[in-house]
Amino acid sequence: MLISYNWLKQYVNLPSTITADEVAARLKAVTVEVEGVKKQGELLENVVVGRVVSAVKHPNADKLKLCRVDVGADEIQIVCGGSNVTEGMLAAVGKIGAKVQWHGEGDLVELVPTKIRGEDSFGMICASTEIGLGEMFPLKDEKEILDLSGLADGKNIVGLPLAEVLGLNDTILEIDNKSLSNRPDLWGHYGVAREVAVLFNRDLKKYEAPKIVAGKDFKLKVEIEDAKLCPRYMAVAMSGVKVGPSPKWLQERLLAVGSNPINNIVDITNYIMLDLGQPMHAFDAAKVGNNIGVRLAKEGEKFVALDEAEYILSENDLMIVSGSKSLGIAGVKGGLESGTYTDTTTVIFESANFNAASVRKTATRLGLRTDSAVRFEKSLDPNLCEVALQRAVELALECCPEAKVVSKVVDEKKFALAVGPLELPADIFEKKLGVSIPQKDILNILSHLGFEVKVKKNSFSVKIPTWRATKDIAIAEDVVEEVARFFGYENIPAALPTFPINPPEKNTLRTLERNVAETLVKTLGYNEVYNYSFVSDVQVAKMDDDLAKYLELDNPLSKERPFLRRNLLPNLLENVKNNIENYPELKIFEIGKVFSIKESGLRADSNGSDLLPKQEIWLAAMYVGKKDATPFWQARRALENIFSELNADFQIMNHDIVQPWEHPSRLALVACGGQTLGVLCEINPMVSQNLGIEQRVGVLQLNLSALVEVLSKQKSKTIYKPASVYPAVTRDLAFLVKKEISHQQILRALKKTSDLLKDMELFDVYHGSNIGEGYKSMAYRLTYANSERTLTTEEVETAVKKVQEVLVKEFSVEVR
Amino acid sequence: MQSKFEQLKTEALLAIKSVADKMQLEDLENKILGRKNGELTNLMKGLKDLTDDARKVVGALANEVKKEIELAMENKKNELLMLDWSKAIEKERLDITQPALPQTESGTFHPNTIIQKDLEDFFTSMGFAVLDGPELESDFFNFSAVNVPENHPARDMQDTFYIKNHPGLVMRTHTSSMQVRAMLKQGAPLRAIVPGKCYRNESTDPRHEHTFYQLEGFVIDENITLANMKGVLEAVAKHLYGEETQVRLRPKFYPFVEPGVNGEVTCFICKGKGCRVCKNTGWLEIFGAGMIHPNVLKEGKVDTTKYQGFAFGFGLTRLVMLKYGIEDIRHLQSGDLKFLKQF
Repeated sequence: MLISYNWLKQYVNLPSTITADEVAARLKAVTVEVEGVKKQGELLENVVVGRVVSAVKHPNADKLKLCRVDVGADEIQIVCGGSNVTEGMLAAVGKIGAKVQWHGEGDLVELVPTKIRGEDSFGMICASTEIGLGEMFPLKDEKEILDLSGLADGKNIVGLPLAEVLGLNDTILEIDNKSLSNRPDLWGHYGVAREVAVLFNRDLKKYEAPKIVAGKDFKLKVEIEDAKLCPRYMAVAMSGVKVGPSPKWLQERLLAVGSNPINNIVDITNYIMLDLGQPMHAFDAAKVGNNIGVRLAKEGEKFVALDEAEYILSENDLMIVSGSKSLGIAGVKGGLESGTYTDTTTVIFESANFNAASVRKTATRLGLRTDSAVRFEKSLDPNLCEVALQRAVELALECCPEAKVVSKVVDEKKFALAVGPLELPADIFEKKLGVSIPQKDILNILSHLGFEVKVKKNSFSVKIPTWRATKDIAIAEDVVEEVARFFGYENIPAALPTFPINPPEKNTLRTLERNVAETLVKTLGYNEVYNYSFVSDVQVAKMDDDLAKYLELDNPLSKERPFLRRNLLPNLLENVKNNIENYPELKIFEIGKVFSIKESGLRADSNGSDLLPKQEIWLAAMYVGKKDATPFWQARRALENIFSELNADFQIMNHDIVQPWEHPSRLALVACGGQTLGVLCEINPMVSQNLGIEQRVGVLQLNLSALVEVLSKQKSKTIYKPASVYPAVTRDLAFLVKKEISHQQILRALKKTSDLLKDMELFDVYHGSNIGEGYKSMAYRLTYANSERTLTTEEVETAVKKVQEVLVKEFSVEVR
Repeated sequence: MQSKFEQLKTEALLAIKSVADKMQLEDLENKILGRKNGELTNLMKGLKDLTDDARKVVGALANEVKKEIELAMENKKNELLMLDWSKAIEKERLDITQPALPQTESGTFHPNTIIQKDLEDFFTSMGFAVLDGPELESDFFNFSAVNVPENHPARDMQDTFYIKNHPGLVMRTHTSSMQVRAMLKQGAPLRAIVPGKCYRNESTDPRHEHTFYQLEGFVIDENITLANMKGVLEAVAKHLYGEETQVRLRPKFYPFVEPGVNGEVTCFICKGKGCRVCKNTGWLEIFGAGMIHPNVLKEGKVDTTKYQGFAFGFGLTRLVMLKYGIEDIRHLQSGDLKFLKQF
């Protein structure tokens, strides 16, 4: 919202020693977010009104014109590219020394004498955006220069500074609308003035408008179907109205805050909205008749609004009607047909109050976030209707002296505001804020803001002003805030709280996440990535996955990624694709939540039985090496390191159900403590190909949410035994064996061969052309020991022989 | 016989002195002291032919000569060793500027992980529990429970992702969604932080992301005041940016707190003088906070006559960007290793 400093000063007498910047700073510190302070006509130094005496084609350029321009004292030559420059027009002329902004963007450029395509140019004929007037005079065409011919009004303004001609001596405060969402009273200049008055300890001028003298000629009747949706509706008819341009002062006010003047009647309603925060509307009485109704729309009803667009209404939309004819969407937008135009002679002013939630719902659904709707949805004070209507009539009489009120003032109302009084314990300010504030300061702040405070023995009785009583101020804490912000947060001392030294509850899952990440990063050199939680249908299709298994956003930002990831792979694979060109090997991982269509144990509300969809934290680590055709082993290495760091054991199991993206013969389930909680695999090369990845990808996925539960039930794996004093004997054994025989099978067989066999370590596996097709060579280091004595050579030889026999017998190995 | 020993000694000592390397010394040692045919060994073999008295005298001399030769040999050996070593030093000289090969590439944490871990540890040291919560949250816990009823304009402050066919679900727009969950689960008193991923339906550009990270915190106890809130937030600011850092609070509306403030700290880059990063204000806005609204405490079944508290929320993503001077928020979730490998 834009606030005009001159307009504010209409209501608060601020001395010239106080600047707009200071006001903005104080408002920022105490009331709302002020995003900018702009002096009007900042860029208008050395910009004057000039008359184009002649404009002929530039001898060396088709799109440029050579102009002679009368700038009052002088006639100068300017080369101009404006599409609309014509002889005789009045234009904004930047003289040498003026600072302009090319195309309304970037740094300011100071004009100097120059030559353009060989012709001298002593200034510039400007577009509105080039001199900071883009908001006041919006561009219709990119190459259009600002045409000031309409400003002359019979006077000679050639040579006058443009700022003077436009009456630009105001400063505009830009307020962030979001910071106002709790303050219905700050949506007009008067409300902001009220805060400024308190901030600078000045008096606020009373908002005055004369009582309306009712007429009799026009029988006006208003019927409200549901007072909850429309607590108040005031209306009055005026005849003899001459619709035309509004007076200069009114236009200037509107232009200053970015509202375009339309005609006097519409301008009056807009002015009052910007002044008081009360939206108004003016109907052409000829189109309305004598009866106005406020009722809900029929489902599917069509309505053409002032913007000439057609809206389809629902049965929850509140409408202003006359008989069967709809006049406007209540509090949102008026109708095209019933609006005020130049042929209008009798108008009906509407000054009403509508239910905030209802207006908000309708405006949101129709995409009509009008100035009116954003105000009503903040819960406006119904008392505003009356003073707004009075002021509107006063202004209409000022603009059209022949006009007169021809109806009585209709006032249908049914509302009660919760103005309290609130009973506040006297110590509540100190109790909440931690600082003692003198009672006279408290009383001063509150009364200045319009609260009526009665001091009782141990409490304050605080009556809320109506403009704050609709929602904003409802409980004692709200009053505490009013005092706190004017007392000044900088005056509240910082004080660390004192607590008993209870250690906080441990977050074992977060500890696990950290452990896993640390192992991958520090031990194995992985890089952690963060990805979006969303995936696209294309990604899902490339994974050969089923979209039915995904939750979908109802309103995705882009159509590209509307699905909630159900595992971490699609985005990580995209990372692989995007990075593989630049590196010989990639080691990346992500830890994050994935979303399932299944329900979890978490409740969706505090007492219902609804549960949220399951969302567990998973780890996915990917390895890709340009020269590595079996990255499965790197994924396995990650698994081994992680569990070793966790001091826990894992088990590997065959996997029957193969997901489409998994390599069917390079796939294993990972379990811990008997529970399956992960997958070790390579990505199916067919899927990799879909994704544009030529290399093999090794993947480890672990469900950390499940793992933390399993680990919490496990004891530490470490069991200490004193080291044996008798030496151990090691023997290496290599043999050829069929590929199908697994390491696990061999381990199981070897374990049974001797009690003296303490350890078996696989240290080499070889597949190659020099051993037979379908065979592999395996090499184990066997460790034998006896904790009570030194082993004899014979004992060891016998044990190794046994191993060889078993291997030959069970697996037909060929010992090398 | 005696003179033979004397002569051998003189010759041997001279020979030892002129030895130039280890090989010669070994040869010499063999020649004189060799067990089978050493000159001294042979001479000593002659002792057994002497009379007892003579053997005593000559034997003593012989031993002395032997010791002297051995000592000279030992000294020469050491001398040669030192010589070798001093030569070796030059030969063994390494290029100490070279890294150990093959080089092991170290991995990297995501910058958000680094800052989050730092803050988790800091808050844990002050007795805060670290909580996690669902990112796909119910409308109830994300909005209604924290005093943002349906059709409330405050919902505009946070553009929300909704879920198709699940009207009661949203992608959480803030970590405040955990406030009431934590109160219901643990009750008062309560001290916790919730770092986590949040979502808003906003177009992305260098400064805006639809996915970002927040760090929520709340303290509920008897006699917890706004002054306490200021104390804790000052402690955080000093932890992040140094002891001289100051905190400034300004009023800001958040439906779940009353009073509500936004918090700024003195710009750590220009120390409050004004620079490009703080847009010449000298201050950086890094958190929102306030005294928890009684409606929120009630939703959490906290006895509001006994307990009150404060809540605060840091833009974790913003802290990351400030700390490293990251110019485009979209880098953070780009998965681009050229970016990620720098941390």
